[in-house]
This record gives sequence, structure tokens and C-alpha cells, in this order.
Amino acid sequence: MANMGEIVICRCEEVTYGQLQATAEEHKCTARELKLRTRAGMGFCGGRTCRPSLDRILESVIPNIAPGEIPLKYQPPIRPVTFGTVGENQ
Amino acid sequence: MSDVIVIGGGPAGLAGAIACASSGLNVTIVDEFIKPGGRLLGQLHQEPSGEWWNGIKESERLHQEARKLSVDIRCGVSVYNLEKENHLWNVYTNSGTLTAPFVLVATGAAEYPIPLPGWTLPGVMSIGAAQVMTNVHRVQVGKKGIIIGANILAFAILNELQLAGITVDRIVLPERNQISQKAGEPEEVMKSLLNAAHLAPSPLLRFGSRFMRRDWIRKIGLNFYPKNGVKVNGTPLQLRKAAIEIIGKDHVEGVRIADIDANGTIIAGSETIYEADFVCIAGGLYPLAELTAVAGCPFQYIPELGGHVPHHSETMETPLEGLFVAGNITGIESGKIAMAQGTTAGLSIAKHVGKGAGTIDEQLQQAVKNVRTVRQHAAIQFNPEINSGRSKMNQLWDDLYANNNREDSPKKIV
Amino acid sequence: MTRIIDHPILGKLADREIITFQFDGNTYEAYENETIAAALLANGIRKLRVHEGSGTPRGIYCNIGHCMECRVTVNDQANVRACLTVVNKNMIVESGKQHPNIFKRMVEQR
Repeated sequence: MANMGEIVICRCEEVTYGQLQATAEEHKCTARELKLRTRAGMGFCGGRTCRPSLDRILESVIPNIAPGEIPLKYQPPIRPVTFGTVGENQ
Repeated sequence: MSDVIVIGGGPAGLAGAIACASSGLNVTIVDEFIKPGGRLLGQLHQEPSGEWWNGIKESERLHQEARKLSVDIRCGVSVYNLEKENHLWNVYTNSGTLTAPFVLVATGAAEYPIPLPGWTLPGVMSIGAAQVMTNVHRVQVGKKGIIIGANILAFAILNELQLAGITVDRIVLPERNQISQKAGEPEEVMKSLLNAAHLAPSPLLRFGSRFMRRDWIRKIGLNFYPKNGVKVNGTPLQLRKAAIEIIGKDHVEGVRIADIDANGTIIAGSETIYEADFVCIAGGLYPLAELTAVAGCPFQYIPELGGHVPHHSETMETPLEGLFVAGNITGIESGKIAMAQGTTAGLSIAKHVGKGAGTIDEQLQQAVKNVRTVRQHAAIQFNPEINSGRSKMNQLWDDLYANNNREDSPKKIV
Repeated sequence: MTRIIDHPILGKLADREIITFQFDGNTYEAYENETIAAALLANGIRKLRVHEGSGTPRGIYCNIGHCMECRVTVNDQANVRACLTVVNKNMIVESGKQHPNIFKRMVEQR
């Protein structure tokens, strides 16, 4: 069996299942708090790869939460842009 | 200024642009990829009629049609934000801001991950990545690979890899855990494969599907499931084996695989390392809806549609004035459905603008009916419960938005 | 890796101009109008960068611009997605390198 704790969930920030599980359990995190504490989902890809896994970890930790009840919160920019691009545009 | 900006130049976006432009609207399409077509580009399968569905040809056909109608198609453009300001939509991209009263978001789908040890190694890729590399770029992803995850998308792409002369050594399940969930349980996997049995890749599955719908027969079937799997076009489908770890130093060298029981529990001492130079992760697709989320569109989680989808009507409008959706962003289905939805969205936009004179209502109704017809005749269905998922969204739309006495409130199409 | 020249359904690859480009100081051949990721894979190169912090090797993962794993430096512009960028004649492509993570070390030593 694989050592579940060592599986990298967020590839961008190399946050492991073990770190996420421990943080979620210790702090009874909201989705936002879990991301801020571990930086999972906050790397270069903006969580596009790991988000579904993060949601499943949260579902297993937060009591009585149904799949899909974790808010679908996204913030721009949803693609990495240089400060220059944002400056010119807005 | 364009009348309509279409985000995503796949089957839904191209069809939507064509419908808008045919009604006399000025349309701009933006897409991140090097050429239009989206996920359609990679698709290649044989229809039940024996004809080949060639995504590259279909994409070219749509592309040409759009060009004839003077649609402005811009490739290599990434959209990073979408915002409404003074009744106009601002589409922020890496090459400037575009503004229009109407936006069609047709951003398609992304792939569910299956994290396991070693999955960050070069040579491990999502199954969709292998499809694009093989059929679009025409470069072999490797000599011998292993697919982790058994679902419809995996089978379709397995076939495409084989056509290109690439050896797929075996298809195994992911290890059952909190993240892989049902994808790691042989019985659940068998159930979902049997539901799609009309396109079953092996005679055994096709034959079995008729009576294996009964639970107890299925259990027996799994208990006697051949240890070395059932061959799918020459590649063993091993529902009783799970990938534990991907091995390699600078790139994939192999996969550690263990035997599992019918529930997905690992049988101790059964681990073997199989050599491979590439691995495909087949976790399935989810609607890529982030742009509608930043725009402020409300969402509903509907598992039959693949995950969170923006609220939308059957005529492809969202609750936000001027914002429309089509294709996999509304639920995971085939490219043909995406096209039919794109046409519907385009006509819907034309109607909002006041184009199409007296016939637009009829055209729109026809387009909505066409989506249903295409769905009924679909050769590939990613989720067997798709009709129930679509009904849920239609019901939700009726409850929340259809009775608000808005002048343009959508009429129920029966 | 090999290119798929003859395909039973998609047909034969059209003749395209061959260009050269550089990756990490070495010169490689590519077809015009193909992506950096495809050209490198055709030359047998899978590793496009290492993780900035840990140095673990990375290559393409999604191949359609979602995951950002294939980001490389192109003609001095950092963080360009190799899977979405067409390779040009004489393009200078560099793999992503490990960075000394000063802040992380400061936190760890605290």
C-alpha cells in the first residue's frame, strides 16, 4: 500500500496529503483557510489540478458536509499574468 | 467592437460563433491553443455505422465555416478575468481587453486528477494530454505505457494510442482511497462500464452487460474476474489490480501494481513492478467553469453533469444578462452535443439582440430539440445519468428564474 | 520519441519545414508550427523543468495549458507554457531551475 501521507496533492506547491489532512483536522478548516495555511491550490496553476482532491479532503474532515457544498470560489486572474499585463488592461 | 466574444474555440464555441455570425452579428473567438478545435481536435473513433469520427476534419470544417462568415478567430490568447461594466462585458486577456455586450463562455472541461506517489515525474500525464500529443501533434508519448483509471474516456483514448502504434501494456485501477473513491472500487467501475456497454470494447463486457446488471451476478463476475484481466483490443483491462506507485528517477520507469479484491482492498504481498516509459492518468472530466465563477454566475453541484456547473437554461443563457454558456462547461458530454449546444447559444444570443426577424423563436426551439435528439443518439455517453442531470438543471432554472416576469424570460420548450 | 508519420486513419504527416532551436544550450530540430513541448518530446526530452523549491523533475502533464507544469523560459521570457507555444526558428528555450528559497529557509530556521 502507498504511504498516503506522502502523496503530493498540490503539484505546484508540493503539499502532501499528510500535511493537508493534519491541517484540516487540527484547525477544522474552511476551504479558504486550508489553502491559506498550506498554500495548496495557491501555486502557479491556481488549483486547476488539485482542487477536486482538496474538496474531497475537506469533505472527509468537515462533519455533515455533502459533496459539492464546498463553495466554488475563484479569484481572478485565473491564468498567470505579468503585473505589466494587468496594469495595461485595467 | 464585436457584438459577441466567444471564449473557447472548441466545438461549442465554433458552432456558437457560426450561429451568431449567420444571424448577422460580429463575432470574435479567443482560444488558448495554437489552432481552433479544442478537445474536438484529438477525437478519433469509429461510429456504430462504421464511419470514422475524425475530430481534426470536423474542427477544420467548423473553422472554415466560421472564417467564411468573417468570424475573427484569435488563437494563443488566454482569458484571465471576466467582468461586467456599464452593461458591457470586459474580457481581460494576455493580449489586451476585449469588450462586448454578449459573451459566450465555452471553456470545456478539465481532467480530474488521481494523485499517487510518483505522479509528478516526467512521462506521467493526463490521458487527454496523450490524446493531443498523439492525434494533434503526431508525436508518440512513449513506447510502452500504463493507463491508471478505467472509464469511457480511457477506452476511447486507448484505442487512439493503439491506432498510432503505441503499446499500452495494461489498464489498472487507482489504489482505493479518499481521493480516488469509486474509481478505485472494482465493483463501481464495473457498474459504470456496464452502463456504457453498447460501446463496450470487448465482447465479454458486451455479452456480460445483458445480465450482469444484477448485483449478485456482478459480484460473482468480479470474484471470478480473470487475474490477468480481459483483453480490450489487445490491452488487458485489469479491474483486480491497482497502481500503488509510479517509479523512476528523472522520468517514468515503471509502475508498482498490486492485486486487489472485489472491493478494492489490496492483497498483501502481491506487488509487482511493471516497466513503462509513460503513464496516463484517467480521472475523467469536470466542467471548467472558473470564468463564469469570477463573473459572478451562481453554481449548482450536479454529479451527473460532472461537478459544479453554472446555472443555465435550456437555451444556454445564464442569470447574468448577456452571459451565455455552451459545451462541457454545462456538463460533460460528447463533442456533438457541444456543437448542438453552441448553435443553440448562438441563436439565443441572436434572439436577445433582436435578430432573426419572425423565425428566430422557431429556430431556437428547433435547436433545443436538436440537442435532445443528438443526446438520444449519442454513441458515447460519459455519464449514463446525463438525462437526470440535465433535468435537475432545467428544474432549477424554472424554479429560480423562469417565473420572474422578465420580458425575455425563457419559455419552456416541450 | 518517434513521430507518427503514417497513421491508418489520419493519413500521412504533411511535409513541413524543419527549423532548429535551442534547449538548454543544445540545438534540436523541430517542425514549423509545432509546440515547444511536441518538438522536445520528438527529440526524446521529457524533463522541462524542476520544481523551484524541491528540485523534483517535471514535464508536460495536461498538454492544454491548464496545469502550468511545462513552463519554460523562452527568449528570456519566464513562465511560458511549452504546450501552447509554437517553436520558432532559432528560439532559445531554457528549462525551469531550482531557486534558493530564502523565505522558506528563514521560516524553517526561526
